[in-house]
Amino acid sequence: MPIEKSDLLQGTLDLLILKIAALGPVHGYGISQRIRQISKEVLQVQQGSLYPALHRLEKRGWLDAEWGQSSNGREAKFYKLSAKGRKQLASEESNWNRLAGAVSQILETAS
Amino acid sequence: MSWWKLFLPKRASGAQLDSELRFHIDELIEANIARGMPPEEARRRAMLEFGGQEQVKEEVRDVYRMRIMDSAFANVKSSVRFIHKSPSFSATIILTLALGIGANSAVFSAIDAILLRPLPFPEGDQLMFLNQYNLRVKSPQTQLSTLRLEDWNRMNSTFQALAGYYTGDSSETSGALPEKATEAFVTPRFLDVLGVSPALGRDFSPEEQHFGGPAAVLISDRFWRRRFAGDPAALGKKLRIDGYSQSIVGIMPASFAFPSRDVDLWASVPTDAPYAQDRSSTWYTTIGRLKPGVTLAQARANLATVQAELGKQYPKTDGELTVAIEPLKDTTVGGVRSSLWMLFGSVSLLLLIACTNIVTLLLARATQREHEISVRTSLGAPRSALVAQLLTETFVLALAGALLGLIVAGGASRVFGMLAGSLPRVDEIHLDVRIVAYSLLCSVVATLLCGVLPAIRGTTRNLSNSLAQNGRGQVSGRIPLQWLLVGTQVALAVTLLMGAGLLLRSFQALGHVTPGFDASHVLTFHVSGSWGETADMRRLTQRIDSIIETLRDMPGVQGAADSAELPGVPTEFQTELKFAEGPAEPEHKIVAESRFVSPGYFSTMQIPQLAGEPCQEPKLLVSPNSPGGVRVEAGSLNVLVNHSFADTYLSGSNVIGRHLQVVGNAFLRPEHAGEIRGIVGDAREEGLNREPGPTVYWCISAPSPNPYYLVRTHTEPMALAETLRKEVRNIEPARSVFDIMPLEEHLTDAFSENRLRTILLTFFAVTAVSLACVGLYGTLSYTVSVRRREVGLRLALGALREQIVRQFILQGLRVTLLGCLAGCGLAAAFARILSGMLYGVSPTDAATLSAVIFLMLAVAGAASLVPGIRASRVEPMQVLREE
Repeated sequence: MPIEKSDLLQGTLDLLILKIAALGPVHGYGISQRIRQISKEVLQVQQGSLYPALHRLEKRGWLDAEWGQSSNGREAKFYKLSAKGRKQLASEESNWNRLAGAVSQILETAS
Repeated sequence: MSWWKLFLPKRASGAQLDSELRFHIDELIEANIARGMPPEEARRRAMLEFGGQEQVKEEVRDVYRMRIMDSAFANVKSSVRFIHKSPSFSATIILTLALGIGANSAVFSAIDAILLRPLPFPEGDQLMFLNQYNLRVKSPQTQLSTLRLEDWNRMNSTFQALAGYYTGDSSETSGALPEKATEAFVTPRFLDVLGVSPALGRDFSPEEQHFGGPAAVLISDRFWRRRFAGDPAALGKKLRIDGYSQSIVGIMPASFAFPSRDVDLWASVPTDAPYAQDRSSTWYTTIGRLKPGVTLAQARANLATVQAELGKQYPKTDGELTVAIEPLKDTTVGGVRSSLWMLFGSVSLLLLIACTNIVTLLLARATQREHEISVRTSLGAPRSALVAQLLTETFVLALAGALLGLIVAGGASRVFGMLAGSLPRVDEIHLDVRIVAYSLLCSVVATLLCGVLPAIRGTTRNLSNSLAQNGRGQVSGRIPLQWLLVGTQVALAVTLLMGAGLLLRSFQALGHVTPGFDASHVLTFHVSGSWGETADMRRLTQRIDSIIETLRDMPGVQGAADSAELPGVPTEFQTELKFAEGPAEPEHKIVAESRFVSPGYFSTMQIPQLAGEPCQEPKLLVSPNSPGGVRVEAGSLNVLVNHSFADTYLSGSNVIGRHLQVVGNAFLRPEHAGEIRGIVGDAREEGLNREPGPTVYWCISAPSPNPYYLVRTHTEPMALAETLRKEVRNIEPARSVFDIMPLEEHLTDAFSENRLRTILLTFFAVTAVSLACVGLYGTLSYTVSVRRREVGLRLALGALREQIVRQFILQGLRVTLLGCLAGCGLAAAFARILSGMLYGVSPTDAATLSAVIFLMLAVAGAASLVPGIRASRVEPMQVLREE
């Protein structure tokens, strides 16, 4: 059962985008495909959330955007992680891990 | 789509976003085709999966829009909440700024109306004021003869047209009672030069401008409403002015007030009248309109050439004359310029003090809000957002202050009118878009001045610092800055106080001068008369003499006289003279002030006779047809000279019996001499602020058809006004008596600009000192609250309460003293600006300076007392328990 946009924790999408962009320049379509593939189709990002998020992250300076050629030779907008974004990713990742750890601990202990 | 979307950053919308999304869809389609779908189906599926394109685009645009608009709205909302939460703090700031911005906008409204705006005529900056002056005499002769005016107009190539005017008072007798009307006599082209046409009716026709043509007048809007209740049927009606019937051909617009607000009627003076054909009969004040694109320098050069040519043509009358041209605005505004800029500088200092004060308040406030700010920082709010929020708060306060300040500025014109009604263009001061815009600008500047420092300092602290918050160490860094701000306020306040002190001392010194005449118990007034009467000087003299005699015989009257100008009210009429007995070309020029007075003047004004005999009116006064001034055909006039004249030009000896002649193109023909009959005491005739110079009194009771009458009374002068009016009506039923006023009031009015700047600067200085004291009080109170624990400890260890009080007062005084020292430097610079406005006190007057410093220290000491006492009341036990 794919998890829809509204179910995603706020800020999680940003974290996922940053993580994927950390692997190298990637366009919006690529990001949505990777999320889907890596999560084994569990997470499906709606374009209605993806593009606003990309632009928001670009606006904050965490992503740098550049126009380039896609693998099949078409013009596409590529996003890559900026230095600021790298720091942000690190802190969000650790936050997430702490949160996830805390939540799973509660789930385990309370059961 | 709303209009404000136009201001969105370009990259938020447009082609780039389109192609970014199209790429995504194309990729989806291709993936579907690769999975084996037919192209049509692949496309349909792709579109379905992507969802509403427009919706996505809109949401992306929102990313940019939200950041700008929402954060601004949120900031404003939080600012309003902030004001709501701390009403007294906000009210203090708003009121301080309202005062600062309001006073600033008020002075700016005067500067804008008087100095910055062009005169209220179309292309007002093309209007010039022209006059001729004789190189050999110091003061300019401002009037022009008809012939010369016409020559200038014809021969120049830089002006569109030149025109002249003079004003006089006349009696209008077509109504139930004779009414005094102020009449302007104008040459042809007058309205063309000003670029104004009558609101109703027409300008003078060519026939009306010729000698012997139909008599016509233009009337002012005010006169029209007063006499005809604004009825358009007034056009074509006849007025009876000084016995001559004249028809109304036009009604001027209400905004037209040239040459002055008082003018009721404009009448045309023909240039071809026989009495106008004399190059030395000078009547006209002259104005001109430059051709477009012509500069002042070009016009000056051009008119100089024209006059040089006239000098060759008429060496006798025009040989020594030179032309002076000034923008009409400059001559209208006159000396007010420096006063206004001085006030503007002072009021800007005041605003600066207000802002400094608010900085101190906001800094103290920032300490209290530290917790809120550090929480927000730790939640990830970027520093720029916090600074923006703090600045928005300051801006909302400043805006509220500016709006309140506009009310202050709105009343400014009334204040200016009340304090100095004689200020030029004062009726043009009012609140308009420019003033509102200026106030808004002030609030932006105030926001930056007040807000930036606290916002930056308030957001520099990091989380750990705030978490370690523990009363002492953490505030200590901020205190020196606050003391520096207090010192700055004191320095600026001392500057203003010094300026106000110097102006007050000048004012006081003016009040203490011995003018050489006694202005108390003297009533002054006019009785209407027209220049036409100068055609028969004998009759005019008889008429004026009989009025003076009637006045003198009235009960309660000690003496009566008349004079061309009022004593002590600044005027200047310098003439070059020579002794008839001396050489034709004397080695030293004799320049003296000429005054025209009736024989009774000296006893009425109580100017003592030092030697010789009193003045006598000469028996014979015969006139040519010259409405322009007094001319004595034969016989010699009686002349009295003052002590200074006798000393300067005759070394005090052999004065009486000598004959004086006027040199150059002046009111008296060179062949007519005045015999010196006596010497009188020096009097400050040309203004109370000026040392008496060499003066010559010509004893003529009819120097003009409408001189000032002076009556010395036994009791309160105004009490006699009604009796006096009745007595004059008995002998002169067709004339009006007007401008009845004690001489002392004239003298006060003469210094109204002086009074205005003194009152305003004093007000600014007092406000500045109060603000500085509030700043001192606030900062000291804050210090006390921070050092409570230390004080408690010291008291517990046996310190005396007086020591504590003394310590805090001394701390306040030390900063004040340092501020005073810094202020002295500023005050010296400020005093230099003032030096032209001072009288009887030097710009570096030590007494004033020490008084200012003493006052500042005294007030500062008082402001420090309360926090000091509060500190000494700290209960050691309680403080220690709080730990």
